[in-house]
Amino acid sequence: MEPSEFGRFSDPALFILASLAGGEKHGYAMMEDIELSTGVHLGPGTLYGALSRLEQVGYIEALPADDRRRPYRLTSQGVVFLHQSLVSLEKFVSLGLKRLEA
Amino acid sequence: MIQKRTRVWLTRLYPRSWRDRYGAEFSELLEQCLRSPLDILDVFLGAVDAHLQLLSGENLTWRMMNMLNKIRTTILIVFTAFIGFVIAGFALVGMLDDSPMVPLMRSTPSLAVLMATIQVGAVIAFLSVVIGGLPLGWTLVRRALQKGHRGLGLLLVPVISFLVLVLYVGFVFLVGSGRIQLPGVVQVVQPGNFPVGNKLMLSGILGIFILGALASVLAVWKVISRTDVEQEAFHVGGRVQNIKIYTFAFVPAVITTMAMLVMLIATLLWGVISFSALPQVFTANYGPWQTSTSAWFIGIIALMSLCVLAAIFGLARNRLEKID
Repeated sequence: MEPSEFGRFSDPALFILASLAGGEKHGYAMMEDIELSTGVHLGPGTLYGALSRLEQVGYIEALPADDRRRPYRLTSQGVVFLHQSLVSLEKFVSLGLKRLEA
Repeated sequence: MIQKRTRVWLTRLYPRSWRDRYGAEFSELLEQCLRSPLDILDVFLGAVDAHLQLLSGENLTWRMMNMLNKIRTTILIVFTAFIGFVIAGFALVGMLDDSPMVPLMRSTPSLAVLMATIQVGAVIAFLSVVIGGLPLGWTLVRRALQKGHRGLGLLLVPVISFLVLVLYVGFVFLVGSGRIQLPGVVQVVQPGNFPVGNKLMLSGILGIFILGALASVLAVWKVISRTDVEQEAFHVGGRVQNIKIYTFAFVPAVITTMAMLVMLIATLLWGVISFSALPQVFTANYGPWQTSTSAWFIGIIALMSLCVLAAIFGLARNRLEKID
């Protein structure tokens, strides 16, 4: 699945994957981590819209619930997808910076 | 902090299948993170998105869960309707007891055939419920044992209800045999004189049965709604078989519904023929505790019809698709 296929959830999906790359987290911990690292506040509807899609395509997986909170972690497919997405972003960022400097 | 009622309401905006999967954790998240009206708007948009996803069939997991819910609800409706039908059946037996309709049945072949049809239908419906319900019941007990006391407590409700009924019937038997004396209750009831004490004591049987049935149905519904399981492994003939418990119960549920429909028609015909032969019986008080025969019969037919309609509705609302 390409990042564009997540529709309006593309960016939130990437944020979630990047957050989970730092270790397993439940919804609220992801929300806080994303806000702290990117300055973007994901609403609960957006977070779970992206989360459910990521789980559906197998990029993340749910772990046994801790009380009512359920942690999630990256799958190997998710790691590959995140890596590809970040590499592609990196190329785009480098190209943009080069053009600005030219 | 946002009120629990608001959280529940916001979570209910999402489709049922979505809530079954994410509801608990989403509600927990809402408790911690709702900071502004924009967050509430975000929840609204998320709910719209979840409904659209479900409608478009984009998310296979939710579709499967939605379908499971449909089959599950169908099975529950049919089996609950069967319990209602059993109550109507007991009322019919109570009406026939010691009435002139019994000798009439013996002398009228068509009535005997209709009564035999009702009895055979009752056996078929009962066996279907048992066969369809066994894997489900076994799974619920197994999961309740794994999960803890609350599920077990709910599953004990039918057992306790049955024991209370048996104990009460035993008590009535002891009073009837004269081993226990109660004021206002006589051992032998004379025609036209049915003491209030006797009526109350016998009404207790029906009351306990109906209350027990209702409590049992509610308890089992509650346990099933909390048991998120579709299939279970069973050891059959030394081999392990994975049985989809709700799909497995679907055919027995169809048979139960058909048996109930046949019994309803047979009871209706039986009533029409009996009324033609003995109209005076229907204007007299041969109902349980010397109450109106016709009122009992109309009540029995109404309850049976309601149960059959509920079961047909339950089956019709389920578009049986292959989950695989």
